[in-house]
This record gives sequence, structure tokens and C-alpha cells, in this order.
Amino acid sequence: MTEELLRTEGLTRHFRVGKLTSRQTLHAVDDVDLTIGRAEIVALVGESGSGKSTIARMLARVYTPTSGDIWFEGKPLSRLRGRKGRLAYSADVPMVFQDPYSSINPAYRISHGILRGMKLHRGDLSQKQRGAELNRVLESVGLTPVADTQRRFPYELSGGQRQRVGFAQALALRPKLIVADEPVSMLDVSIRVGVLNLMGELREREGVSFLYITHDVASARYLADRVLVMYAGHLVEEGATEEVLQRPKHPYTQLLLAAVPDPRAELGLADARDVGEPPKVVDPKPGCRFRPRCPLAIAKCETVTPLLRELGDGRRVACHVAD
Amino acid sequence: MRFVLRRLGFFVITLWAAITLNFLIPRLMPGNPAQAMMGQYRGRINPQAIHALEIAFGVNNHQSLLSSYFTYLGNVFRGRFGISLTFFPDQVTHEVLQALPWTLALVGVTTILAFALGTLIGLLAAWRRGGTLDSLMPPIFVITSSFPYFWLAMLAIWLFSIRFHWLPSSNGYSITDNVGWTWTFAYDAFKHALLPAMTILVTSIGAWILTMRNNTITVLTEDYVRMARAKGLRPWRIMWTYAGRNAILPNLTGFAMSLGFVVAGAILVEFVFNYPGVGWMFLHSVESEDYALMQGLFLLITVTVLTAILAADVATVILDPRTRDER
Amino acid sequence: MSAPSIGATDHLATPPVGPAPMVAEVRQGRWGDLWRAIRRNKKAVAGAVILLVFTVIAIFPGQIAPYDGQAMIFEPALPPSWHHLLGTTAQGQDIFSQLIWGTRLSLVIALAVGALATVLAVLVGVSAGYIGGGTDGFLSLVTDVILVLPIFPLIIVIAAYEKNAGLLTLVVVLGVLGWSYGARQLRSQTLSLRRRDFLESARVRGERKSYVILFEILPTMTSLILATFLGAAIYAVLTAAGLQFIGLGDPNSQSWGTMLYWAQNSEALFAGMAWWAIAPGLCIALLGASFALLNYAFDEISSPALRVRKLERSRFPRAEPPPPEPAGANDESVLKVQDLTVAYATDASPVVAVDHVSFDLARGEFLAIVGESGCGKSTLLYAIARLLGSPLPGEIVGGRVLFQGRDLVLLEAKELRRVRWRDISVVMQSAMNALNPVLTVADQMRDACEAHSDMSKREIEERSREVLRLVSIDPVHLHSYPHQLSGGMRQRAMIAMALLFTPDLVIMDEPTSALDVVAQRSLMVQIKELQERLGFAVIFVTHDMSLVSHFSDRLLVMYAGQVAELSETRDLFDRPLHPYSQGLLGAFPSIRGPKVQLLGIPGSPPDLARPPAGCRFAPRCPHADAGCVEAEVPLFGVNGSLVRCVKHETVA
Repeated sequence: MTEELLRTEGLTRHFRVGKLTSRQTLHAVDDVDLTIGRAEIVALVGESGSGKSTIARMLARVYTPTSGDIWFEGKPLSRLRGRKGRLAYSADVPMVFQDPYSSINPAYRISHGILRGMKLHRGDLSQKQRGAELNRVLESVGLTPVADTQRRFPYELSGGQRQRVGFAQALALRPKLIVADEPVSMLDVSIRVGVLNLMGELREREGVSFLYITHDVASARYLADRVLVMYAGHLVEEGATEEVLQRPKHPYTQLLLAAVPDPRAELGLADARDVGEPPKVVDPKPGCRFRPRCPLAIAKCETVTPLLRELGDGRRVACHVAD
Repeated sequence: MRFVLRRLGFFVITLWAAITLNFLIPRLMPGNPAQAMMGQYRGRINPQAIHALEIAFGVNNHQSLLSSYFTYLGNVFRGRFGISLTFFPDQVTHEVLQALPWTLALVGVTTILAFALGTLIGLLAAWRRGGTLDSLMPPIFVITSSFPYFWLAMLAIWLFSIRFHWLPSSNGYSITDNVGWTWTFAYDAFKHALLPAMTILVTSIGAWILTMRNNTITVLTEDYVRMARAKGLRPWRIMWTYAGRNAILPNLTGFAMSLGFVVAGAILVEFVFNYPGVGWMFLHSVESEDYALMQGLFLLITVTVLTAILAADVATVILDPRTRDER
Repeated sequence: MSAPSIGATDHLATPPVGPAPMVAEVRQGRWGDLWRAIRRNKKAVAGAVILLVFTVIAIFPGQIAPYDGQAMIFEPALPPSWHHLLGTTAQGQDIFSQLIWGTRLSLVIALAVGALATVLAVLVGVSAGYIGGGTDGFLSLVTDVILVLPIFPLIIVIAAYEKNAGLLTLVVVLGVLGWSYGARQLRSQTLSLRRRDFLESARVRGERKSYVILFEILPTMTSLILATFLGAAIYAVLTAAGLQFIGLGDPNSQSWGTMLYWAQNSEALFAGMAWWAIAPGLCIALLGASFALLNYAFDEISSPALRVRKLERSRFPRAEPPPPEPAGANDESVLKVQDLTVAYATDASPVVAVDHVSFDLARGEFLAIVGESGCGKSTLLYAIARLLGSPLPGEIVGGRVLFQGRDLVLLEAKELRRVRWRDISVVMQSAMNALNPVLTVADQMRDACEAHSDMSKREIEERSREVLRLVSIDPVHLHSYPHQLSGGMRQRAMIAMALLFTPDLVIMDEPTSALDVVAQRSLMVQIKELQERLGFAVIFVTHDMSLVSHFSDRLLVMYAGQVAELSETRDLFDRPLHPYSQGLLGAFPSIRGPKVQLLGIPGSPPDLARPPAGCRFAPRCPHADAGCVEAEVPLFGVNGSLVRCVKHETVA
């Protein structure tokens, strides 16, 4: 792994749910330790409700962690004081959103969001320089002819084009890490690959790291150097992409991989018996959250929450049984 | 039932606001108009009643604002609004309760009728999109629902009463009649109520038709309506149970908001027709500076509106199971 | 008394039919479009014209009115004549002049109150919606209380204590009491906007809250703000007139309401001066109507669902189809689709969403229809099921759908209803939307059973339990409402419902796309098992080819409304014939197998309003040449498969 850029320790986020009288706590994310290196693409894989989007939002400072902290370039976020510090972080770690049809303000032209970003974070640029940067980032994401694109309104662009605009907005800030929350799930299949390729190119050319959040394991394999698997708010497995995908250790990862349709493989009906669903983690008791669906569960799994264990070579698994 | 409890709480808060406004407004107005009114009572009623009025209107009062306020609240809850000047020496409460049945009969019935008819017509119009009903109605009703109630009332009087002599032009009943529970009286009262009722109906029905139509059109685009078609259900059942029951829900919530207009309209209509209901009495009391009566009527109007809204809320709970599982 | 604006509240975030390609023509942007939309809408024009007339009169009363409105110099109670267009009042004033002079006050009140109320509504509503929490709770409570309090009586009470209130007081009081309705609407619009990513994007970018509210939220709510303004203006006109009419305004002011007050006082109607009473009221009504018309028109413009567009059938000459084969000649087919064509009307030229699609479906066969957004697969599906119409636009303008020998397109409504559910049932994409939220699962199953059979209540209940067990749902959930079930369960309940009568054909529109991967897989397996057990045919629409790769017998690939390729599933995956299919297959990264650089398919599908000549895929095809765009490309048969490509021999 390359030099460390961002690190989280014990990252936790709880939400209060229920009415005023009955206070229940939804454990969206519990105790997550992860690292992202420079110019590295890390995939955070999980299904809806696993907590991956919440982690993204904590990294982007939309939510503050309930406990735990985030270190960026060695400095903890909790110590960020003042607007300047916060702005600097927003420029270093911007976010790209999932829905191309609602992530750009429909009332303004494409140039607006990009220029605003520059106004906020790179105020030293003159107007001419801003214009030049605008052209540059639009070019980097393949939205040519740039003069034409910047004058258009979002409704005139396709979904794929809008997602590229999202990346352009992020690029204009000269970021170090882009948090991409399911950037291709709402795009047509034939367009997705183009955007994934774009992310790879940006890493090569500009040295930007990516935290690629997705529920699609295949795309994670295509793009990412390392994979982190989330289940019900916990990080359950981590490792180099090929390693995790070809030799999954955690039973959930195994289930997930078995469920991914692969036209070239034979259909294994045996592993499709599972009719369970990920739990809504409200006021959970200790113990493994995957236990109800796990074919390998032992007594210990019921009462003791498994922690991430190092297995060597950057591999970590949160399971009592896995080796 | 948390939903209903919450709405009850809202009821109480709004009522409290109305009572407090009643208390504060005369004190905030320049020129102390209540003073003049008080003069008219002197010598005609006992000192306790005078004192109660002083508290209510902030005249000659040596008590602190806060203690006046609590005394006033106490009086209100015991139904002691004082003595009416116009109908001296009757109690305000007595007069108010006399006028209430007339208004309930006229406005209550008409509003319910307008709501029911309007909702039905709106549903039908949306069901047959693009049909004659649908293309003619919206523009017509958009225009009629912006007519002033009182103007329509005047037009109605002019047309049906003066021109054609079909219906009486004012009052709740003929002066020559004996008031009582007889058929002749009921028929006479009905004739007198017809024009005012029609006026209110024609003006208020437009809004119901339009909102129900728009709601229904939106609901018709929902997947569950398409699913109902796919299941081969009869059109009547789809329109009623699938489209109608879902489209009416926002209308019930909207009921609360439109009551304000109905009340305004009712007051004006009663005024134009000299119809002896709450609205007419309310304006009359303003004219004759009978503030005690005015305050009592204001609170009555508020309570009526809140009760109607509560009824709509209960209906929502019955029709929409999602409100029962509080989120 | 205007209709509260419904359509302006939320725009569905669903993608449009087909992505918008980069059009060469220069669009004038939103204001140009808005202007054109207004010009086209008759109500908007009517309202605007009336308003304009009143505005002109308000600005130049002296030039238009023949006399001074207040001057009591004429003979009283004159009927209308050339000298006095509307006659004179009981005090000898010219009614027409009064009317003209009174315009200014009425208009000023309307606009001033409208502006004040709108500003307050925006401040309160947007702040409540955006800031949320305690602030929202408090502001909402205040809003609701003011909304519910009877405003008119309250104003009367206030006016009672202070008689002859001036114009300013009137405006302020009306404005301060009239913002609540607008605030409520703005608040709910803001709340739904909060979920929109562009707001979060702005915050993440580092924008201040005040910037977000002023420059990100408000510009997207212009139509609602306009609606609030218009609504407040109507309220102002009517309430002010009402107050003046009962004598609570300044009786010496010149306004329409005051005219009516004097008319009423002088018993105008009974004294034969009907015009005195009618004319001012008419003006009030017209002014109110102009605002209402504009409001209604903007509603229509901003929510396309409220507009009705008629398709010109004349553009689609119905060619005589070949006579149907006698039933029984081919018992293997449960469904034969022949040359099915579907079109819908747009503001521009009509769009052909499905273009001469044909295929046969054998008994018990699982056919998957695959394609991307805008290819017409959903339209095709619903055309077969005869479920077009809102929200999916379209009419069948050609072709046949032969089901068990009968043409579904020509069937009468009653006949069609009989076929539904017994023989053909439908499973939709999102159970949350497809199940009626106010009915229990049991009710919805009973609906279908009662519509098509004579089963007793008990039999219906028994059958409902049975189908739930078929999909592994505990029958105890029978009496739950849809929102009480989990996502996966709802989906399976829908499938159970589709099997109530063990139909011959089940049509499925992306039934698994709302589920997560593991649930998707298990649901697919379950569907396949049921299919094999009960023997029904399936048409399964999806955008995900790999999902159906193990389950479908044949695959139909759609592109730009046409069949691009139709083959046995395995054949298509092993040897895709059409360049589009090849491109698609190459766009799926695989889990196992070697890691390769993928390319996807550059460009976008064509605009179906103006389909390109010749092959529709040519602009994006790596193998295209001049021969591809010369003429319409027919379907070629290749070893039992069909492919729409002139170069299929060389490209495979």
C-alpha cells in the first residue's frame, strides 16, 4: 500500500430513531478502521443499509462521527477549526454523488458549479485563470467540445455526461481523495464502463485517490486496488482486490460473491437458499450480526462481536471461524 | 392513535392562541375603544359583571396583566363571556347558542355537500381525462372560484328574488311566521336558506373539484393503479378504491386550509341575506360595538373550525393505515 | 378562492425516456422555453391579458375615465347611457369612472399583499424546511396555527377596534396573516429538495447555509414562489373587497369594494340600480380570475402530467396485416407478437417507441427482453399487457398481439378484463409502488379473485395463503399493509399475487432491480423454480443481461425501439451477432476470469423523435460503413437467431 492519506479509527455513527418517548438508536456504522493511500483506489462494497454511504458522508463531513476519528494527512478532523481549515479539507476530499439527475442544480448552467467550487477554494485565481481551469477539467473528463458543454443546462446532458460533470466539479478543487458514492449505479450499462475507466485515468494522470462505494462487486474488481466489505455497519473483510474476490474468508463475502451473476460460470443453485435480509441494526446486542444467516456459526458468534483480525498481507477478517 | 392525540394537542394550542388574541387585541389597539363601550353598561348590570368585562377588555384595571389573563381564562372556561349589549340583558352565551343552529344548518350542510359533490365530480373528471367534463370544467371553475362570495350573493338576489320573485331575498324566515318545529316553518326556513346555500355551494365547490381532479390525475399515474388495471378489476372499483381513496387523502388535509375561506364566505353571505346565523350576528356586533358578543362569537367560530378539522383528521386515520403506524 | 397548487410540489427524479443527446440546435434555455410554453397555453394568455388591461387602467386612470369618480354632480340613479356607460349612483356619481379610478387601489392591494405574504412565506417555509429540528417544529406550529385560525373574523376583530384603518394597515395585516398557506407548501418543497443531491453537493463544496438557501434552493422553486404570490394576490383581492364591503375600510376611498358597500347601503338592487352592484363585483371577479388563470396555467406548465396530448393517428396508416393463422395450427405458442408498433405524442413530432417488433413465445418459455434506458422495452412490455397510458405514454398504432389465438389489441375492454390475471398476469418493478398502500395484502388478493371467479371468501383466503407459501412468505403476513413488510417480502408477495390463477403467461418488469444482490439471486431462483413447477411462460424485462443469463431460454436485445437480436440465451452469450450485443457483453466486468480493459459503447442512443436513416446503431458501431445507413435494416435469420445487421456475417 502506498503512503497513507486518510485513516479512520473506531469510526462510528449512530442515529436516533423512533418517537420522542421511545428512544432507539440505529447503529449505521460501528467501529470502522480503514486506510486509504495516495493514488490508491479503494472499493467499499456492501448492500443498502450496510453503512457504506454513511461512511462516505462522514468522510465528506456531512455527518460528524458519533465516536472515533478521521485522520487526514496525519491531522485529525476533530481538530479542524475555523472555516479555512474546513474549506481546505472540502477541497482535498470532495464527493461525487450517485444520482446524475439530482446532483446538479437544474437552475444553472454546467459552468456554475465548477466555477463556484473554484471561487470558494482557489480564490487566488483570476477570472481568466478560472476560465482556463474550467476548460481543463471539462477536457479531463472527456466532455468535449468544452465551450459548448459549459453553456448547457443539466437537462440537456445525458446521465453519463452529468456524472462526468460531477467529476469535473471535484477535479476543479485539486483534490487528493475523491469519495465516489455509487457513481455508476444509475447509469446505463454501456456507459458505466466509460466512467469507471475515467476514474482509473484520473488516478493515473492526476494522482487522485478514490474511495469507490458500490454494491456491484464486479465493478469493484475492475477498478479497485483494495476491497473493503461492509455488513450491517461493520467492516467484515479487507484485502487486495484479487485476493478477497478469489479467496474470500468471511462467510458473507462468500455469499455475496456466490450471488453475483456471472454468465460464464455455471449456476450454483445450492448457495441460493438464503432468503434472509441484512438486519436493521437498532439497539443491537453484542455478537456477530451475520449470525442468523451464517452457515458456519458457532456458539461464540452469538455473544461475542468479532473484531477485525490481521491475517497477514494486508488481509483482515472479522469472523471467529474464518482462517 | 398518537396521530389523533397530536392533533388534539394542536386543537388546544390553537384555541389557546385564539383566546389569547381575544385578550390582547383590545389592549393593543390605540384609542382604547373598549372604554366607550364600557360606558354603556354602567348602571345596567351588577358590579361583578362590570369587573369581568374590565378584565376582558383591559379597562380601568388595576390588576397586573398576568393575573387579568388568568382570571379571563377562568371566565372563558366557565362560559362566562358577559352580557350582550345588542341583546341586553341576555348573556352572550345564550345569544350565541341561538344563532348557532342556523349557521350549522346552512354552512355546515352546504360545506359537506360541496365537499362531497366536488370530490366526486373531480374524481369523475380526472377518470375521463380529456373528456368533455374534464376540458370544460377546470377553466370554468378556476374562474368561478375566484368570485367574491358576496357579489355572487347579490347577483343571486337580483336574479332569483327581484327579477323572478322565486325566492325570498333575506332573513332566515318570514317575519309573519311563528317560530317553532312545524312543517310550515321548516319549509319557510328552507326557502330562505336556498339562495344563500346555492351561493356558498357554487363558489366553494370549484376548489374541491379542481384539487380532487389534480390529485386523482397524479394518483392515476401511480403504479398501483396500473396494477389494478392489470388485475382486470372493474373500472368502477379501480376508480373508487384505488384511485379515489388515495386521491382524497390530500384533500382531507386541504380541508383544513380551505375552511378559512368558507368561514369568510359564510359571514359575508349571511350579511348579504340578513340570515340570522353566527356570521350575521358577528358583523352586527362589530357594527354596534358589542365587543363582548363579538369575542364570544369569534371563539365560537374558532372552535367550530377546529372541530371540523379534527373530524377530517379522524377520517384520515380511518382511510389511511399509514398514519396508524406512527413513524 | 383558488385551487392550491398541486403539481408544483415535486418533480419525480426519474430519468427521462432516453437520455438527452447533445443536440446541435441552440436552445434558448429555460426562459425561452417558459415563454413559449406560456404563449401556447390559452389560460395563461387569458389571465395575462386581463391583468395587463387592469394594469394599464391602474396606471392611467385619468386618461381613461371620463369623469372624476367622486364628483357627485350628476343626476342620481340614472340607467346606463352613452354619457354614463354604467349609469350613476344614488349620490349622483358616474359609476364607470368610479370603476376606473378604483382599479388602482385594488391592484395595489393585490400586488403589495402578494409580495409581503410571499416574502414571509419564503422566509418561514424555506427556513423551516432547511434548518429542520427545533426551528422547524416551532415555525411549523406557528404556521399551522395561523393557517387554521379564522383569518377573516380575526381581521374583523382587529378592524372593529380600530375603525377606518388606512391602506397601509390593511396591507400589513393582510400580509402578516396570509403567508401561512404558502409557507406550508414551500416548506414541503424544501423538505423534498433536501434529499436532492445537488444541495448536499453544495454543502460538501463548503457553501454557507445562507448561500445554499438563497442561491441553490430558491432558484429551483421559482414556480412555487410564483404560485404563492398569485395565491396570495387572489386572497388579498377577495379579502380586501370583503372587508370594504362590510364597511370596515375607509368609506371615502376609491375602490371596488367600497363601491359595493355604498351600493348595498343604498339598496341598489332593489332600487333598480343593478349595475351599480354588478359592475364592481365583476371587476373584482375578473382580477381574481386573472390571477387564478395564471396560477392554474403555471401549474400545468410545470407538471407535464397535467397536460393531455393527443396522438395523431393519421400519421400511422394501419397496414393490413397478413391474416392470422387459424388457431391450433401452432399450439406451441402461447403468444405471438407481430409487427407491434407503439407511438406517443410529444410537444414536437410523435415518437415511435416500439418499431415493428415481432416474436413468438412458446408455452412455458422464459424470454428475457434486454436493453438500456429508452430502448422501448418497458413500453413493449406494457403494450403487450395492454397497460399503456399514464404514466407510460403511448398507443398501439400497428401490429398484433395474438394470445391463444385472439388479438389482444382488438379485444373489447370487457373481454380483455376476462383475460387479465386468469391468463396473463403482471409483476412490476417496485412493490412499494405497485401495491395499494391503503389495502392489506389479503384485500388486494381478494380483489383479483373476486373479479375473476366465484370463489367463496374462505376459498379465497385459502388460496391466498397457498400462494404466499409458494414464495416462502409466512401467511401470517396476509393481513399486513404493504409498508409493514420488508422490501424483499413485498416483491415476493407481488409474485405470489401474480400466481393466484396460475396463468399461462406472467409478464415481469424488472422485478428484482430494487433488491440487493443476494435477494435478487434468490428471487430469480425462486421464479425459475415456480416457472418449471407450474409451467407458465415468462417475459422478463431487464437492463441487466447477466442477471438472466442462467434463467432465460431466449434473449431479445432491443435498441432504439427495434429488435436488434433474438437468440437462444447461451448462443447470444457465446456468439453475439449484433455489434450492440457484442458491445453490451463487453461492458460487464466479470467476477471471475481474466481482468481485461473494457470499453463500453461510446455515444448515446438516437433521439427517437428523429430516428436516423438506416441502421440506428451505426453512429456508435465500430464496424459501420456507408452501406449501413442506406436503407432500413431488416432482420436476418442466422441459425435460428434473428439479427438486424447487414454485416452480421463479418462481424460475429
